[in-house]
Amino acid sequence: MTTQFRKFLTGVFIALIASGCGSNVRLDPPTIPKPLVDTLPLHVGLRIPNEFQSFRHTEEVIGNEEWSIDLGRSNAVFFEQLFGYLFSEVTILGPDEDASAMTLDALVEPSIDAFEFSVPTQSKTDAFAVWIRYRLKVFDANGRQIGNWPVSAYGKSQATTFSGDEALQRAAVLAMRDAAALMIFRFDPDRFMKRLSGEGEPLEGDDESTATVTAAGEQGGSNE
Amino acid sequence: MNESPWRGSRALSIVLVAGVALLQACVTSRVEDSREGLTGISSDESVVIMAKSYHVGNETEDNYITCIEDALARGKNGLNVIPHKQFVDALFPWFEPRTAPADTRGLPALMERPGVADKIEEQGVRYIIWLDGDTDKVAGGGSLSCAAGPGGGGCFGFAWWQKDADYSASVWDLEGLESAGTVSADVSGTSFLPALVVPIPLIARTQAAACKGLASQLRIFIVADEEAT
Repeated sequence: MTTQFRKFLTGVFIALIASGCGSNVRLDPPTIPKPLVDTLPLHVGLRIPNEFQSFRHTEEVIGNEEWSIDLGRSNAVFFEQLFGYLFSEVTILGPDEDASAMTLDALVEPSIDAFEFSVPTQSKTDAFAVWIRYRLKVFDANGRQIGNWPVSAYGKSQATTFSGDEALQRAAVLAMRDAAALMIFRFDPDRFMKRLSGEGEPLEGDDESTATVTAAGEQGGSNE
Repeated sequence: MNESPWRGSRALSIVLVAGVALLQACVTSRVEDSREGLTGISSDESVVIMAKSYHVGNETEDNYITCIEDALARGKNGLNVIPHKQFVDALFPWFEPRTAPADTRGLPALMERPGVADKIEEQGVRYIIWLDGDTDKVAGGGSLSCAAGPGGGGCFGFAWWQKDADYSASVWDLEGLESAGTVSADVSGTSFLPALVVPIPLIARTQAAACKGLASQLRIFIVADEEAT
């Protein structure tokens, strides 16, 4: 057996072992359905940070199993779609673009505070789960910050229905949909307009637990 | 004397039928309903099957929802079933796990939201059926070992496991914005795997039995009053 062939076999063997120790999942940008809400007649700037163009998260779990998820541009596409539905005009800005030269009614800067996921070997269930905590900073036309809003989202998908990779992808998409649902549910257009005109309470001070309780409470609780 | 080829094939058929029958282990099931209001459905009305939220710990499997959808739509008396994904997308974000109303008291406020009542009417949805529950392995035991060598291989031993499928379906009538009642299915089945060289699985199809039982009872529950009137 030649040395090269032996090396090739060794490589194949290592690749086979490695493939049994986790997975790399790539997420295609999700499509958020058009929400049943009235569009606000505002020109809003949406500043997409660099991390939204390419986001990758890796978890090392019990037994040296390593799972990673590559969200790619999913976060950017998600926010572009959502804000496109919520406001009559949306201008996408890069991380370093100057918004002061533009005639915007508001500027929103989303970011990711935290991203986590769990796989069945961790949770001892059949489910993959994804948690995303976004943060939305909102500025008025004068560049004054009028809101600082954490949004904690959760998605869960069963591995018994889908393969492991598909289940993790689906859990991530469900977490994004959950974030969209929470943002729409808690978004109060009257309060937002008041804040833009310098009146009313700040759009902030909601910690994660408050956000969840409020979202469930307003309509009688989550589905029970 | 030559043996008829028909006799051989008939014997084989009997063995196959007996084999298939033996491969089905037993299940015990109990299906009940509790009615709160009158029901009935016309040919231009439809139903949608939804799972209660995973935010509150519900783990109803996607394939169980699909099974109920298929079972309700099947046959000449099949109901019009709107696929749940289509319904949830059309009413986004008001039927997401986080935002869906917890009970019928949330329905009037939901119907007031822009476009919601129109979308529901457009799809002709008369009933929303909320599924809760799942199938779990509750017990198991035995031991089974397999070995293979140059001369062949085989298994020896005996294993068993018991699965419980507990599901309930809450029926919401969107015409009166009220609860019509609940239907529940509680199915238990034990599967066996004896092996003497070749393993012979005797599988209890617990979830499938729960699907069939719940769907049959749901159909009766929804259409029964209309037939009676």
